[in-house]
Amino acid sequence: MGGLAVSEIHLDGVRKQYAGTTALEEVSLHVRDGEFFTLVGPSGCGKTTTLRLIAGFESPTAGEIRFGDEDVSGVPPEDRNVGVVFQNYALFPHMSVAENVGYGLRFADEERRRGRDERIAELLELVDLPGTGDRDPTELSGGQQQRVALARALAPGPRLLLLDEPMSALDARLRERLRLQVKKIQSELGITTVYVTHDQEEALAVSDRVAVMNDGRVEQVGPPREVYERPKTRFVASFVGDNNLFEGELVDVRDRPEVARETKGLRRLHVRVGETVFEVEASSQGSGSTGEIAGVEASQSPRSDGGSVAFCVRPEQLKIDGGENRFTATVRETEFLGETTRVHLDWEGREVTVRAAEPPEAGTAVELGFDPGDGHVFEDQL
Amino acid sequence: MSDATAGGDERGEKRTDGGESLSGISRRQQTASGWVEAHALTLVAVVTGVVLLVLFYYPIATVLVEAVVDDGELTFAPLAGVLTSRFYLVEIIGFTAYQAALSTVASVALGLPGAWVLSRFEFRGRETVRSLTILPFVLPSIMVAIGFVATFGANGTLNRLLSLFGLGPVNLLYTLPAIIVAHAFYNAPLVTRMTTAAWESVDARTVETARSLGASPARAFLDVVFPQLVPAILVSATLTFVFTFASFPIVLALGGLQYATIEVFVYYRVQQLAYADAAALAVVETAVSLGLTYAYLRYEAKQQTAAFGAGAQPAPRKRLLPESLRGLSARDVLSRVAVSGYGVVVLLVFVAPIVSMLLSSVTAPDGSLTTRYYEFLLQRQATAAAFQVKPLPAVLNSLLFGVGTLLLALPMGVVMAVLTTRRYRGRKVVDALSMAPLAVSGIVVGLGLLRGLVFGFEAFGYRFTVAGAIAIVAAHAVSAYPFVTRNVAPLLGNLDAKLVESARSLGASRTRALWDIELPLVAAGVVAGAAFAFAISIGEFDATVILATGSNSYTMPVAVERYLGRRLGPATAMGCILLFVTSLSFVVIERFGGRSRGV
Repeated sequence: MGGLAVSEIHLDGVRKQYAGTTALEEVSLHVRDGEFFTLVGPSGCGKTTTLRLIAGFESPTAGEIRFGDEDVSGVPPEDRNVGVVFQNYALFPHMSVAENVGYGLRFADEERRRGRDERIAELLELVDLPGTGDRDPTELSGGQQQRVALARALAPGPRLLLLDEPMSALDARLRERLRLQVKKIQSELGITTVYVTHDQEEALAVSDRVAVMNDGRVEQVGPPREVYERPKTRFVASFVGDNNLFEGELVDVRDRPEVARETKGLRRLHVRVGETVFEVEASSQGSGSTGEIAGVEASQSPRSDGGSVAFCVRPEQLKIDGGENRFTATVRETEFLGETTRVHLDWEGREVTVRAAEPPEAGTAVELGFDPGDGHVFEDQL
Repeated sequence: MSDATAGGDERGEKRTDGGESLSGISRRQQTASGWVEAHALTLVAVVTGVVLLVLFYYPIATVLVEAVVDDGELTFAPLAGVLTSRFYLVEIIGFTAYQAALSTVASVALGLPGAWVLSRFEFRGRETVRSLTILPFVLPSIMVAIGFVATFGANGTLNRLLSLFGLGPVNLLYTLPAIIVAHAFYNAPLVTRMTTAAWESVDARTVETARSLGASPARAFLDVVFPQLVPAILVSATLTFVFTFASFPIVLALGGLQYATIEVFVYYRVQQLAYADAAALAVVETAVSLGLTYAYLRYEAKQQTAAFGAGAQPAPRKRLLPESLRGLSARDVLSRVAVSGYGVVVLLVFVAPIVSMLLSSVTAPDGSLTTRYYEFLLQRQATAAAFQVKPLPAVLNSLLFGVGTLLLALPMGVVMAVLTTRRYRGRKVVDALSMAPLAVSGIVVGLGLLRGLVFGFEAFGYRFTVAGAIAIVAAHAVSAYPFVTRNVAPLLGNLDAKLVESARSLGASRTRALWDIELPLVAAGVVAGAAFAFAISIGEFDATVILATGSNSYTMPVAVERYLGRRLGPATAMGCILLFVTSLSFVVIERFGGRSRGV
């Protein structure tokens, strides 16, 4: 029987309530062995709570958390064999760097304790801080402190690594460098890692899979590219990257999603937004193993004829003077971003954003367009 | 057979196949020592609770019972006697409240200018003066009383100075003003310290905003600064009232026979073995003190939740001594004159008593230098009769009780600090119960310990009695441990919870994390608390004098009081020895205490 790998994490219907408020509505997740798994979402979405539940600092109000096959409810954090790195490093200020890194080895088995000094040196090497063992942690820079914290978490050889916004206190450039280093160490060790961040760009950059959270729920789980290209909900579409949202209704009954669902492969939907009718492709999702299509969310709550539907188009896929679906919008303002320029336009009262190498001037009317394959349909969940 | 089931069954054993297996998860929980470790804090908390119950709440309860039970029957006669007697109500309780109110006004009046000087002016030694405001807490009150006698007595420093100018003599001793000034000596520094802290957290930008909106400097002070000082002034005034309401040695030594507070009268009644009367008075006093302390704690809690002054930028301090006289406004000159005048008052009230005591211990009545008072102590040590008080046992007892107090108060205080910084149901109750000893006077604690434990109690068919010395240590520990708690709790509360969480995820149990991480990081507070506890034990007079009467367990303060009954000289010599020992503890507090202390 498979699935015994101890480094898997299962959350089944986990709820967490604090006096009066609900931090997690209901979360079910499966983190695979050796995976770099990221929880991303705005502040207050429950991502840190989820991490603290896995670490054992909190216990769920309802539901079950399993490591491999084992229910860990009631197991205190010290017995979970989990390494944790916090945003503010939480290095012990009264201990040297080496004592910090070696702290967890005090509780390890005999063999590990004997090899303590070598292990500390090995880990400081791993995080690229060799020879800093005698230093005071407060003498180190923020980035160095964070790497000490990482070494400390890894020293006892934990089965899981939990990272709670580990980069947030660092400046942008350092953040990018450090996250590459973390990713490299993670894949070298093959340690199952849960990473919490509010930065969707960071999440997309480092993760094997991403769970986008909102309001105490998981909105979508998938590889970064899938989450970016095929957001399941309007929240995911707007949170992960820039996006243009269009709300409209199906023009033809035959286009209704539950009908469309039965047809494998490509199918075009006709969606009326305002006075304009767009053609949008509804295509097979992901690996195809589920056989779901883009509009699948819609089929869960079928509507009467037509039915309202929403779709999104990424700014980089909305072209000036290009694409099959055309409409005319007025340029409101432009933002110069360096490699490209973001152009904000007004289309019949709706805000639309495109990227342009040579931006049109404010006030001019521009014809925009996109190809049916670049429109991504999901159910209007209003 | 599925592995899931196997894993479940084998919990508690180390798996061999997976190396780092989860199945070892619960092993710590299953051994007896593991259970003890997991519940260590609870166990120590329970022990602390039991100790408090036996050493504090039970004795206090016996006082209460004594006030309302006579020969096994419920009676309100003693209480009713106290509450309907004109003598008790007006002469004793009324006077106690009256002198406490006057003392509070005097302390605020003397303390507020100090806060102004310390928070608004920069001068050499400002930090030192600021930290000296902690001193009254470790100065033995009987020693302060001696200092005042040496300053204002018939042969005191003041009259000697006056006689140089052909004036005097004036007799300020055994008058109400003497009592009130001595109380101000104790409590004005408290007002100064709390108000200075509040003043320094007033953000200069709020004043600047008021000025830019059209307020004059005076108006800006009244509208913006003063309202932010009011809470600190009210809190320190309340504490001053509570402390002076329960004042004992100062009134005993400076009030003579005309002036008696409740405390002094309880002491007299105990000496006359009129325990029921003493108990009834003690109950009234305790009720008032507890009520006020409760109001104080409520107010303090409200202030803490309302405070948002963290990170405030206080206005820069003015130099007290301007670099040049040019460009000084009349206002500036006036304020420096005021500061100088205040400096003279401070010297008179705070420095004169201590200096006078030192001088008196080496000055003969005719004004010549002498060592005869110290020789008297040596001689008394060699030849004293059994009923007389010897100096050396007093010193040794004080040190012994001090160490005993440390051993008891330190763990109690630390555990209470841990308990009051955790979040759980009923924390407020624990908070209040653990701080109650601050509000109950030493006389009442001493009386309770005497009647409840030293005279013995029956339980399980046996009669238990506690030696006087142990009862004294108990009394000292009960009055000292809140200071340990108040020194440790803020440091503990400021610790990042993630430090402990990191330690736990690295494998440390909750207790182990407390030991490895939290305690080392609050060590400064623990040491400062220990110094407080030691100093309080050394200086404690109220409970000690009740428990040591007629025994050999007398301490330095008791010896001072006994000698004071005869002649000033030997008492001041003994007082100097007491000052020396107390100063040592103060040095330790200053060395380790830092800025982070409580009351």
